[in-house]
Amino acid sequence: MSQHYTQFSSFSEAFIGFAQEARRRGFPTGIQCTKDTVESALFGLWPDKALFEYALTSLFCHEEEERAVFKKLYTQFWKQKGTIIQDKRTNKNQKSVLSSSSSAVMLGTGDTGSSEEGEEAKTTTGANTKETLKRTDFAYLTKYQSSLLDELSEKLVKEMSQRLKRRKKKSTKGQIDIANSIRTNIQNGGNILKLAKKNKKRDKYRLMVLLDVSGSMDKYSFYLLKFLWALRSNFKQIEVFTFSTQLMRITDYISDKNMAIALAMVSQNARHWSGGTKIGTCLKDFNDNYAKRYLNGKTMTIVLSDGLDTGEPEVLETAMQQIKMRSKKLIWLNPLKGMQGYEPIQMGMKAALPSLNHFGSAHNFESLLTLEKLLQDA
Amino acid sequence: MVDNPRDLIPIIDNLGYVIDEELATVLFLMQKLEKPLLLEGNPGVGKTKVAYILADMLGYEIVRLQCYEGLDVNNAIYEWNYQKQLLAIKISESSTKSDKEKEDMIFGEDYLLKRPLLKAISNNKRMILLIDEIDRADEEFEAFLLELLSDFQISIPELGTISAKHKPIVVLTSNRTRELGDALKRRCLYHWVDYPSPEKEMLIIKKHLPNIEAKLADQIAVFVEKVRTLKLDKTPGIAETIDWARGIAALNNDDAAMYNSLSCLLKSNSDIRAVKKEFFTKS
Repeated sequence: MSQHYTQFSSFSEAFIGFAQEARRRGFPTGIQCTKDTVESALFGLWPDKALFEYALTSLFCHEEEERAVFKKLYTQFWKQKGTIIQDKRTNKNQKSVLSSSSSAVMLGTGDTGSSEEGEEAKTTTGANTKETLKRTDFAYLTKYQSSLLDELSEKLVKEMSQRLKRRKKKSTKGQIDIANSIRTNIQNGGNILKLAKKNKKRDKYRLMVLLDVSGSMDKYSFYLLKFLWALRSNFKQIEVFTFSTQLMRITDYISDKNMAIALAMVSQNARHWSGGTKIGTCLKDFNDNYAKRYLNGKTMTIVLSDGLDTGEPEVLETAMQQIKMRSKKLIWLNPLKGMQGYEPIQMGMKAALPSLNHFGSAHNFESLLTLEKLLQDA
Repeated sequence: MVDNPRDLIPIIDNLGYVIDEELATVLFLMQKLEKPLLLEGNPGVGKTKVAYILADMLGYEIVRLQCYEGLDVNNAIYEWNYQKQLLAIKISESSTKSDKEKEDMIFGEDYLLKRPLLKAISNNKRMILLIDEIDRADEEFEAFLLELLSDFQISIPELGTISAKHKPIVVLTSNRTRELGDALKRRCLYHWVDYPSPEKEMLIIKKHLPNIEAKLADQIAVFVEKVRTLKLDKTPGIAETIDWARGIAALNNDDAAMYNSLSCLLKSNSDIRAVKKEFFTKS
């Protein structure tokens, strides 16, 4: 049940009550914020509802996404009995609400239908939907959420690659090159006025991604593919293969700038999608035919698979060892690892584990973003 | 100092910046509460400009700190002028001063290079401190900034603590390439600067190009709004819109001008192609 300003005996108590209500709804505010709320009211902003709302928005919201939720909370708390708080901003939706008298009555009385009240409260809790979305398991996403996630993932990957690019540029620091410093400073009579530096050249990784598209991965492979597409559009040196019962290189297909086209290309050409799983044989095939060409001492190989193998574990074990020898780092990301109580006891996973540098989860978007740390030098 | 945020609007309008009620309220509040202001928004929506307008309006000097990855204390606060110090030692080699006197001399204020943050704090008059693109700086620097923004003092080991003579008015901007820490956000007023509505953008165009036809300005603003709904490599900001309006005006505003000057608005070949395909297929 949400609170209303009439429940408080004075306005100053209502201000405090509002700040507490906001805190309860997940807005990260402290005592300072409550104090600022009261002060802004004292500056003469208070009777003017529109200005007061702007002021509180700037105090309580720390992100663009929170604004809509805050607006709802604010309107609900301060709404007048019988009237509506007018919004001065030119908002077409608002105007239509004002013009239609029936909805005005409903908004004004505030107590028509307790179900609506409950609905409101539900949508208001959790000020940040973005964070929740990042943590939702891919397997449990609704259709609506998945479209939201598409947008979010594209944006986040873009940001990630931007950060990584910047990190690469930063190389003005380095060890002092003593000999060179003395040499360049001879013209200053031997006084060291300018230090020469030497930079260690940083190795850049190349990325090799092996994506499992077998039936057991169905819930995840689609999202992982989208993520790879986003990665591909931001990282130059990346190769992507899919495998289930056979191996296929899809780097060229997902290179299209348009995600829909890229995904269509992949689905047109991937005949083994949702098939059985022969990880061992597929990786052996990879080693025999592609590894020499695509792997070298600078490659980071990432396997995205649930590790539910139907082939011989020995084949997988040797294949993994070989890949490990050929690449700088070998990483396995397993969507099942996000499940509570998961342990890598399946034959396939057990066989692969000893060769891995890193074993992580890949069940939601947040876990994929942790790749950033590993990608820092890519 | 005005008593109502609405009174700010005409003042700022006269300075050549179109401002809405919400931002005016936030600017009013930041002066009253003496809190820093954090502006977030996409590139090219006029975040940095806000600081300059504030400076213009209040008649304060502005000092700008452009953030980048690897920005450190030496570049943000102070650095000793090593060259000058070395020369001073050389010159005073034959003087009769004691070592202590020499040391006091070369670690005096004359040998201190003031970087933006120290400048903003130690100035004799109140200043506007613009910390631009804070999202580019590392988290360590952000943490350091926190200390400065709450106490407004800096300690230099050789000189002691320098407290602000006048609290500077601080404006931070961010393009949101990374999330800023909660601690920093809590200390600031927050305002999200969005792309302007077509009505507002039209006013902005007119402000910059007073001689433009009203109909053309309107057309441009509406068109740019549509362009912004497309998925582009780089969504055009306000500066691009103004450039484009200038371009069209320079081409004598004939029928093909809009089509031919698209490169003023869009900065990549694929964007131009996408927009042409979407809106200019007939011509």
